[in-house]
Amino acid sequence: MPSPLSPTASAPLTARLAAAAAALITALVLTACGGSGSTTNASATDDAAAKPTRGGTIEYAHQQEPPCISGGWVEQAYISRQVFDSLVSQVGKGRIVPWIATKWKVSKDQLTWTFDLKPGVKFSDGDALDAEAVKANFDYWLDPKTINGTVAAYIGEYYDSSRAVDATTFQLKLKKPYSPLLSALSQGYFGLHSPSSLKQPADVQCVKPVGSGPFVIEKWNRGQNVEFVRNPTYNSAPQNAKNQGPAYVDRLNWKFVKEPATRWGSLTTGQNQVIYDIPSVDWQEAKAEYQVEKYTTPGRPQTLSLNVTKAPFDDIRVRKALAYALDRKAAVENAFGEAADFNGNPALSKSTPNYDASLENAYTYDPDKANALLDQAGWSTKNADGIRTKGGRPLKAVIDYGAGSIINADGATLLQTLQEQAKQVGFEIELKPLTLTQLFGGQFSTPTSYDARPGYWTSPTAGVLYIVWRQNLKDRPNGNNTSFYNDPGLERTIGEANSTLDPQEQQALYSKAQKRISDQAAAIGLYTRTSSLAIDRSKLRDVWLESSQGEPVFSDAWLVKP
Amino acid sequence: MSTATPTFSGGAPTPGAVASAAWSRVRTWRPGLVLAGLVLLFFVVAAAVPSLLASGSPTDIDLRGALRAPSLEHLLGTDQNGRDLYTRVVYGARESLLIGLGATALSTSIAVVLGVSAGLAGGIADAIINRFLEVLFSFPVLLLALLFVTVFGASATTQIVAVGIGTAPGYARLIRGQVIAVRDSGYVEAAGALGHSYARIVRRHVLPNAMRPLVVVVTLGVGQAIVWASGLAFLGLGVAPPSPEWGALLDAGKNYVQKAWWLEVMPGLAIVAFALSVTTLGRALQARLEGGTER
Repeated sequence: MPSPLSPTASAPLTARLAAAAAALITALVLTACGGSGSTTNASATDDAAAKPTRGGTIEYAHQQEPPCISGGWVEQAYISRQVFDSLVSQVGKGRIVPWIATKWKVSKDQLTWTFDLKPGVKFSDGDALDAEAVKANFDYWLDPKTINGTVAAYIGEYYDSSRAVDATTFQLKLKKPYSPLLSALSQGYFGLHSPSSLKQPADVQCVKPVGSGPFVIEKWNRGQNVEFVRNPTYNSAPQNAKNQGPAYVDRLNWKFVKEPATRWGSLTTGQNQVIYDIPSVDWQEAKAEYQVEKYTTPGRPQTLSLNVTKAPFDDIRVRKALAYALDRKAAVENAFGEAADFNGNPALSKSTPNYDASLENAYTYDPDKANALLDQAGWSTKNADGIRTKGGRPLKAVIDYGAGSIINADGATLLQTLQEQAKQVGFEIELKPLTLTQLFGGQFSTPTSYDARPGYWTSPTAGVLYIVWRQNLKDRPNGNNTSFYNDPGLERTIGEANSTLDPQEQQALYSKAQKRISDQAAAIGLYTRTSSLAIDRSKLRDVWLESSQGEPVFSDAWLVKP
Repeated sequence: MSTATPTFSGGAPTPGAVASAAWSRVRTWRPGLVLAGLVLLFFVVAAAVPSLLASGSPTDIDLRGALRAPSLEHLLGTDQNGRDLYTRVVYGARESLLIGLGATALSTSIAVVLGVSAGLAGGIADAIINRFLEVLFSFPVLLLALLFVTVFGASATTQIVAVGIGTAPGYARLIRGQVIAVRDSGYVEAAGALGHSYARIVRRHVLPNAMRPLVVVVTLGVGQAIVWASGLAFLGLGVAPPSPEWGALLDAGKNYVQKAWWLEVMPGLAIVAFALSVTTLGRALQARLEGGTER
């Protein structure tokens, strides 16, 4: 009898579909997410005594494959860091050290920033990295035709102009003071491209961006890996790198392994020397057997944005009730273990400068309070399933989320716990996983399309509040305001904080903003977005995560037996 | 797909008449068939009235009891949220079976329309439908399904449509071949010679005879459709959590495969047991309908 099914050969089309999805994302990357960081235990001074060897290939398994190598998504910054140098680098929580800029000064009115550039630096295509090249990059990022959405989100409203004073002096003029400027510049989105490469078509830049960094892209095999080769003339490492010369290894094989169990297996079987994002179930073993680098990403943590323009969350009592109904701390500990931490503050992650710790317990688990608030809000009767009703309508909210992209498997476990906890107070939650195509396609991101959505925005500065919570207005839309919460007072407070120089006054203003967001329950804090590396120390040494947003750094790394 | 029908060969008991009598009884009982029937009954009850087989709720969480191995308290263990896996497998039967039956029903409907039209019409219509089927054939089922889910999002309906359309061309070809064979057969020619109308011939002779093999293929197809749907869910393209649909259980369990094997093995066994049982019954049905003896 003939089988009604034909045998399948699925790999090529899968890859093509992924590429199609990737293409769709490209447009959106402009608004996706920025990033930044501070480290909890990464150390650049790992093997002070051991002498690095030369040669060999680093085998690295990363998780997410971005649609292009450079761009405005944190996943792009991770990988493009291997190719680019930036003006400055960050150490710890907000300390800025020289990189391409050896010195900088700012005018009294805080509007003119002058950077002295390292002389004699060349891009890997031979272009000189001089002040003209830096200016070409700023012009390119902010040109409406080639805009980098993340760069624009940070400095778009502040940037006035830039000029090359001479070959090694670059000047940036702002419209109003912006104190987080240097922190923002230390992120990979501000990596410097060669001016010639910026004239190439977008699809060429997407695959092979050209920088002055420690590695050069040889080939990107979509769906598999990016092959990097060493830049043999590298002479422009940041001050906080141990190795100031070219990389020790010959090659870096950056693979994309999306499945957590497979990625972990590739480390334990010796196929890779280092992997990204240790699965929560494997943390104990990772800590016992491998070197673990954990980085708690600053910025907006993973929080649940509540759509305040639409029932049921247009009622602040319902928003607060949901926050009280969820035992988020227990749920996060169960789902993530050590892979991420509970973050109750809905505005900033605990590793962000100016984070306000007093908001951590603003809504401690209290089902009685939740029930009382829902009763007050008029959701006082219950249907046969135990779900609260008002005027015959059940109390129900849809949470949609980017499954496997924004929310990983552990995050999905967490959402199911929260869903069940909400049910205990008669609040029905429906979970709706979205594919990347749907998530970034746009039709699912309007004020009418969802009730709540989890998300993050990595950033090394509290200035991210302005990016996320600036009002979403007709003439000035803000797609990052996923709660659709428009509050002129909040926007003013954050704007003042961004332009203030006095640290105490700035802290007070940023705290006021965080408190406002928490008091309004416009979002509910869930967990820290966390980057981790597990490194096989018997094979590989001196890999670290940098501090602006946890980009892996391989220019110091060397193989024990190359 | 292989069959679970037991084959008894070699090593059969030879000494003594008692053994031989017992042997022939076993042969008539066909324990494989009985077992398949019981398994099927279990899952049909699970799908219809799951509370008969499991007392708890499939979504009740117990964070302190997460990832417990199978025990008397939790027959199949618990998952990462402390939910009882046995309860979830039982409650997952409804959605899994619905997807399997729905996909098969859809593909059969499409196939009957296309296959019968092509077989009866012949000529240009036949050629057009055939080319169309060949185009559909050139897309492997899984890829067609992936495309569907990517565009329309993951849900039970998408899975039914994706698998249904994906498997339809195979059935359509089968039906077309049968219709042509019956159409050109002696008895149809005889009916025509007796002056029966075209509609009557199609209704009384062509359709019933052409559909007969389909009954078997469709029975086998249900099991296969469930496997396809589970495959999609395993890739994260299935129904939304916290549904205990079997493929979704597999998908959720795969990250724990080294630390909590039961999360992957138990739902897998449910899928295998169901698919094998349906296949076994399908083979038996085939043997009965073809009038031959079962292998």
